[in-house]
Amino acid sequence: MPTVKINGIEVEVPAGTNMIEAAAKIGIEIPHYCYHPHLTVAGNCRMCLCDVEAGGRGPDIACNMQARDGLAIRTDTPRVKQMRKSVMEFLLKNHPLDCPICDQSGECRLQDYYMDYGQYESRLADPKVTKHKRQDIGDHLVLDAERCVACSRCVRFGDQITGTGELRLFNRTDHTEIGIFPGVRIDHDYQGNLADICPVGAITSKDFRFQKRVWYLTDTDSICTACATGCDIKVCHERNQVFRIKPRRNDAVNQSWMCDHGRMIWQDLTSLGRLLQARVEGQVGNTDAAMQTAVETLQGAEPGTVGVVLGTQASNEANWALWRLAKDALKGASVFWCQGNDPGAWDRVDDLLIDADKNPNTEGVRALTRHDASIGDGADLAHAVREGNLKTLLVLQDDVLGRLGDAADGVAVLYIGTHRNGTVDKAAVVLPAAHTVEQDATYTNRRGQVQRVRRAVHPAGDSRPAWQLLDRLGASLGKAPGASTAAIAFKKLSAQVPAFADMTYRALGTQGLPLVAPQPEAQTDQASQEHHEPAK
Amino acid sequence: MDVPKPRILTRRWGLAGSHTLAVAEEHGGYASLRKALSMAPADITALVKASGLRGRGGAGFPTGLKWSFVPNAEKRAGKPVYLICNADESEPGTFKDRYCIWNDPHMLIEGCVIAAHAIGAKAAYIYLRGEFKYVKDRLDDALKEARAKGYVGKNIMGSGVDVDVWTHQGAGAYICGEETALLSSIEGHRGQPKLKPPFPAVEGAWHSPTIVNNVETLQVVPWLIEHGPDAYRAIGTEKASGTKLFSCSGNIKKPGVYELPLGYPMMELLNDECGGLLDGHTLKAVIPGGSSVPIMTPQEVAKATMDYESINEVAGSYLGSGGFIVMDERADLVDVLANLLRFYAHESCGQCTPCREGTGWMFSILDRLKSGDCTEDDIRILRDVANNIHSRTICFFGASAAMPVQSFLKKFPEEFFGRAGVSVPDDWRPAASAK
Ligand SMILES: Cc1cc2nc3c(=O)[nH]c(=O)nc-3n(C[C@H](O)[C@H](O)[C@H](O)COP(=O)(O)O)c2cc1C
Ligand code: SF4
Ligand code: SF4
Ligand code: SF4
Ligand code: FES
Repeated sequence: MPTVKINGIEVEVPAGTNMIEAAAKIGIEIPHYCYHPHLTVAGNCRMCLCDVEAGGRGPDIACNMQARDGLAIRTDTPRVKQMRKSVMEFLLKNHPLDCPICDQSGECRLQDYYMDYGQYESRLADPKVTKHKRQDIGDHLVLDAERCVACSRCVRFGDQITGTGELRLFNRTDHTEIGIFPGVRIDHDYQGNLADICPVGAITSKDFRFQKRVWYLTDTDSICTACATGCDIKVCHERNQVFRIKPRRNDAVNQSWMCDHGRMIWQDLTSLGRLLQARVEGQVGNTDAAMQTAVETLQGAEPGTVGVVLGTQASNEANWALWRLAKDALKGASVFWCQGNDPGAWDRVDDLLIDADKNPNTEGVRALTRHDASIGDGADLAHAVREGNLKTLLVLQDDVLGRLGDAADGVAVLYIGTHRNGTVDKAAVVLPAAHTVEQDATYTNRRGQVQRVRRAVHPAGDSRPAWQLLDRLGASLGKAPGASTAAIAFKKLSAQVPAFADMTYRALGTQGLPLVAPQPEAQTDQASQEHHEPAK
Repeated sequence: MDVPKPRILTRRWGLAGSHTLAVAEEHGGYASLRKALSMAPADITALVKASGLRGRGGAGFPTGLKWSFVPNAEKRAGKPVYLICNADESEPGTFKDRYCIWNDPHMLIEGCVIAAHAIGAKAAYIYLRGEFKYVKDRLDDALKEARAKGYVGKNIMGSGVDVDVWTHQGAGAYICGEETALLSSIEGHRGQPKLKPPFPAVEGAWHSPTIVNNVETLQVVPWLIEHGPDAYRAIGTEKASGTKLFSCSGNIKKPGVYELPLGYPMMELLNDECGGLLDGHTLKAVIPGGSSVPIMTPQEVAKATMDYESINEVAGSYLGSGGFIVMDERADLVDVLANLLRFYAHESCGQCTPCREGTGWMFSILDRLKSGDCTEDDIRILRDVANNIHSRTICFFGASAAMPVQSFLKKFPEEFFGRAGVSVPDDWRPAASAK
């Protein structure tokens, strides 16, 4: 690996690493607009200009300087400072300064860099070039061409990521204008990313438009649970209310992207079917009473007639707690798991991120089944129910009855979940579970990456994390799994199930870790797990 | 001056029917090709290197050296090599290439085939500026003749060498003369320069090694094959061998294209070849190498010779493409500069920040200055903007737009401050040489 020198500090980086990334590694920020770690280098904004001390000719742009031995650059000279100031001045030459009405305000690179490198004294006397404002370019997007800094990120995204190529920079000189081909509309499933990567307020999100000033928002790192991909996200919220979800960089999972469906999962928090209170025989009531009914039902069941059903929609912690519950408190209960739910209304699939499996934790449940061979599958469950062997089923967020149909008539179902479905309507007892955005837990994605979700807002209504409900249930049955917190539950899981060996919440960090695979070749490349600052 | 004035590029100009194959062949055309086809490609490149030939498109880069940057077959891993002839010629004040093609298209075709053979290209493209439709038609006719005669195409003259030559018409954008923008354009994209590195010789058209050479550069090649490198070196100066075409325009008696050995005294070019200034007028300034290069004062003109080194040493300017623009005392330099900047502000491809925003900015200040609606501060800003563009852009266009501003303001500040109604500030001159 070549060693380069930045401001006199030596840093060793893989060959081909550019100077923006190399500098970031030693905590030196090189300001940039057009560079994006997951797009090709365009080199057009010129904000990253640096002085070259050795190994090249300067000034040169950091984004297009690849690490090689002998290369030494400086970002701290008066000239670099002056160059940044000048690029800022050029960028603002024809900029409308809509900040008071611009959604980007507060997270705008023009604003941010101006604070650091600005001129603070306007020298602009001539009228500004005007361009098209407020253009409706897609179901989720608004385009304001005047605010554009012509960085071409959005153009490259359309060309290189979605391959749809709707956007272009038209015209030349200071009349260069970002726009969309006539008659075309952006209608792919990744629109929100365009608003994310636009470093200024030119492309903004329709869904977030005028909803909130961003400086009021708190970001909580989490992952999307709308499909098995598990894109890394940040949940942006204020006063217990979520306003938007944005992707977070994870090169092992989603690069810097997420789909538009996942972006809106927070709407499920308050959607019509959300379970906010416990139910007993369809009657809404308080959780303690429902819990008591569940305990009585389970205690009253004849030995050998109780089954539990793991849920690929639920977290590793909840599934582990249910598994322990079956083993310890409900001795002799058989354990089943079923392969996923119906994708339902959302049936999109592609090669980029959107997976056909809409369950965020199929691989987590599979890891449990690999460890405990006695866990039966959907066919085993159907068989057991048809034979009449099962009288009581404790179900974790899985539409068991929707799948089993009439065959399950007469089976008492105790259900833990977040939303109404066919099973909820027929269940004897329903305990409302917290949404992924409302709890701490982990999920295992399609490639076996174990990642954390973090509580961003309080659980709605009476809902509680499923692992917590199961722990309470176990306690009432005489033996709690011991999930007093999510972290403790995970620690126990990792001690008991080898696929999770040695993992802790701290070790999972913001990027997660791959399941410990029995065969060495399935191990993911450690290098790709390195922590990166989330790219904007 | 009494130096010999050998005619290399213009040797067939003036012959009746010089653009036809018959006349070209009668006067030595394609004899060099036959000889070159029997030479090893590397030997041709070595010969060109030894001749000291430097690119005539503006940058003056040694041609043989450029050719030697093409990776060998092993490193290319199956990728083809392309030769591109740059016939975009859009620099204001430069109008030699069109005459080269118009008067002697076969010399270009012959040069292209030899150069393609030398670098291992099977295809050569001649990229012509959009407005040169009439030139392209003549070149296409010549190509037809050459192809019919077997000078272009497969197994040329039975040598087993295949080189095809195609013409391509641009849409009339100055920036498409910049070699990487030309590549984007010929690939079918928006004519925008690309980042270097990678350099075209390593990764050019369609990601394959590509040599881009100016028309005049390639037209020298047949003569080099015929006469050898030493004969070429005997002409011109030590560092600038051979002859060069100068496109002479402005307030002179005989505007036109002149072929002269490099190192020819600038004053003699002006007074002898160009017939001198129009009667009753005095010299005010010269732009020696196309609109992009720094302007020269009469004192500098008197000292300089027409070669890369002298113009740079004497005046901090460049020989460029050899566009020699002469202005007498009637020229209003504020107006001239505003006119130049109108061009640059129109032609910037708009890709990179300083040039996109700065060219328009410079033009609007100058446009105001024309009518005196301008302050001393505005002129300082004008210079700042130029300094903030130069060397900070993707391609050399930025510097091309900045250099006229920097040099006019440095060498003729009275005209600018005078128009703003103030005298040249005391601190102006030393600071102006900051760049
Ligand atoms: C803005 C700009 C315009 C240019 N226009 C031309 C042109 O019209 N013709 C040309 O031959 N070279 C032009 N060049 C130079 C080319 O980029 C390139 O250096 C040249 O074609 C190489 O050929 P040579 O080595 O034979 O000189 C231009 C360069 C710049 C920066
Ligand atoms: S893009 Fe940035 S600088 Fe421009 S109006 Fe919006 S917040 Fe202000
Ligand atoms: S719209 Fe945004 S992302 Fe696209 S070119 Fe303009 S500033 Fe860049
Ligand atoms: S310097 Fe000007 S012409 Fe060259 S790439 Fe930048 S904007 Fe385009
Ligand atoms: S980030 Fe390097 S030029 Fe834009």
